[in-house]
Amino acid sequence: MIFRNLPVPTSVRERVTPRHLVAFGLGWLALFFVLPILVLVWQSLGIGTGEPLSAYQQALSGLYLWTIVRSFYYGIATTIVTLALAYAFSYFVVFWTSMKNLFLILVVLPLWIAYIIRYLGIQLFFSPTGPFVDLFGTDFGFLFSTRGVILGMTIAYLPFAILPIYNSMNAIDRDHIHASRVLGAGSLRTVYSVVFPLSLSGIVAAGLIVFILSSGSFLAPAVLGSSENFMIANMIERSYTELFNIELAAALSVIYTIILLALIAVFNSYVNLGEVFENI
Amino acid sequence: MLEITNLTKYYGDHLAVEDLSFSIEEGDFATLLGPSGCGKSTTLRTIAGLIEPTEGTITLRGEDVTNLPPDQRNIGMVFQSSALFPHMTVKENLAYGLKMHGLDDEVDTRVSEYLDLVEMSGYEDHKTTELSGGQQRRVSIARALAYEPDILLLDEPLTGLDRVLREQIRNEIKQIQREINVTTLFVTHDQQEALSLSNQIIVLNNGQKEQEGTPESLYEHPKNRFVAEFVGKSSRFTGQPDDTKPSVIQNGSLTFAVDPESIPDTSPNTDGADVTLYVRPEDVVIDTSSTFQNEFDATVSHIADVGSHSEIELELEDGTPVLVEAERFPDLSVGEQTTVGFDPEDVIVL
Ligand SMILES: Nc1ncnc2c1ncn2[C@@H]1O[C@H](COP(=O)(O)OP(=O)(O)OP(=O)(O)O)[C@@H](O)[C@H]1O
Ligand SMILES: [Mg+2]
Repeated sequence: MIFRNLPVPTSVRERVTPRHLVAFGLGWLALFFVLPILVLVWQSLGIGTGEPLSAYQQALSGLYLWTIVRSFYYGIATTIVTLALAYAFSYFVVFWTSMKNLFLILVVLPLWIAYIIRYLGIQLFFSPTGPFVDLFGTDFGFLFSTRGVILGMTIAYLPFAILPIYNSMNAIDRDHIHASRVLGAGSLRTVYSVVFPLSLSGIVAAGLIVFILSSGSFLAPAVLGSSENFMIANMIERSYTELFNIELAAALSVIYTIILLALIAVFNSYVNLGEVFENI
Repeated sequence: MLEITNLTKYYGDHLAVEDLSFSIEEGDFATLLGPSGCGKSTTLRTIAGLIEPTEGTITLRGEDVTNLPPDQRNIGMVFQSSALFPHMTVKENLAYGLKMHGLDDEVDTRVSEYLDLVEMSGYEDHKTTELSGGQQRRVSIARALAYEPDILLLDEPLTGLDRVLREQIRNEIKQIQREINVTTLFVTHDQQEALSLSNQIIVLNNGQKEQEGTPESLYEHPKNRFVAEFVGKSSRFTGQPDDTKPSVIQNGSLTFAVDPESIPDTSPNTDGADVTLYVRPEDVVIDTSSTFQNEFDATVSHIADVGSHSEIELELEDGTPVLVEAERFPDLSVGEQTTVGFDPEDVIVL
């Protein structure tokens, strides 16, 4: 918007039509998104190697299959925990404090710091010589474990959940809440019957973002988990850089993407996502 | 029925309502009238329990409800924006209040009864977001009444509607109130609305009560200049009481004859303090062939036809405007020289 009034030379304006701009955008997408994915799919099929589709057989068996299952399990768990925390936090900021901006800044601030550094920070926090163990004498199994990875991802993705939830909750007309109270509903009932449904679009958007981010997470299991907590991204990376098995890495990527899209499609049949994102 | 005693509300340091007391009888239609920011909404929301008063008590049906949460006061409220739940249908909106009042069994009958009352039958399954502004107000009124609250509170429920619709819904509110005889407290900054709806008006200004009474008593016997100017239209003159003649107010070349008893004691005649005179437009006569004790030369400066009558503005020789209510399409034209006259008894002296 800042640039809206910048002058565009007439010669440019005359030659560049919206059609050109759309063509440019589509071309960009085709070149850097569609084409690489096609290459990836082609690679995964392993055509010409004598054993086509063997990579898919491997990817859908044993250790690899478990990793795929684990990724989505972690993704769902992280999403649930993150949504609960983000909802409580947003509720507090919207309805209980007068310092909204301060809290929003605190939410966004960690995003300025690289993930790897934040995960390492969490690791050091729970390490045997860290402050947490100093205080409690134990890390409660938070280090190199499932709960460590989920906690790490929750902390990392919390801002992405808070922002849409905060937005939709803050947009609720206070008179809807007042009307509910005067109509005879207690405060809990009002949260359940009015605040929750009116902030649902934010919850759905937040859930989707966190689910996609966390089930594809690479750094959290790498830094905060053990090899038993490896997720799909770690497996793809290992197949590629350690086993040099490009077909397997590509097959894992394709399977992961298809499952993710399928899950979103199923979800979309229950909740109209188009409407949700329109309302944000 | 409803009794407000010494209500005071501070927002931080800001005094919004100051030591306000009034009461409303069962079945009354009362109006809180005052300019924007005078504390009307604050008062109404305190009664509903949505705002905690700094001081004072609120008594409903003889019970002190000052510390009760809003959901336990059995109040019906219509908000300025109608505040219908956008995620519920019309019927669900009405059912919400009914269920909260334990009337689950009567949802169907009450919903159709009250939608019928506001002439919205057949809209049960409509989304509230798809209703027009006027329809939303109607549903909102039905929602507030369906569980038969002890008192109905309306906070400028006609805001944002065009003039025709405003008048139409205003009349409907009056009619509904008569029909079900619900005690009503209405909030508005529109004196016309207040005069046409209520049998009791409480005039607020700067968080304080200026005057309370029937529309007639406010219009004919305003206690102070604020009420005189805020309630109803009038022509306004200033002047000095004459030391020698108690029934005369002097202003330069103009001399006004007034009812000596109407001169308030608070403006002593002796020190020559300014007094303000008000004359209602329907008490002024144009082109006086008869004799009035107050008669002045005037020039017509503006003629407006407002449907039922015409409003004529004239100027006295010293430029003071005079407002007159006359028959439609008077035999006058702008710029014309004429006279205006009124009786001493019709002059309000403050
Ligand atoms: N939540 C609040 N915090 C601080 N000041 C407030 C708050 N609500 C209202 N006020 C102030 O209190 C005064 C009274 O407000 P109120 O809303 O009661 O006025 P009102 O008579 O309803 O006006 P309007 O006709 O504009 O609705 C105003 O000066 C307003 O600025
Ligand atoms: Mg108000």
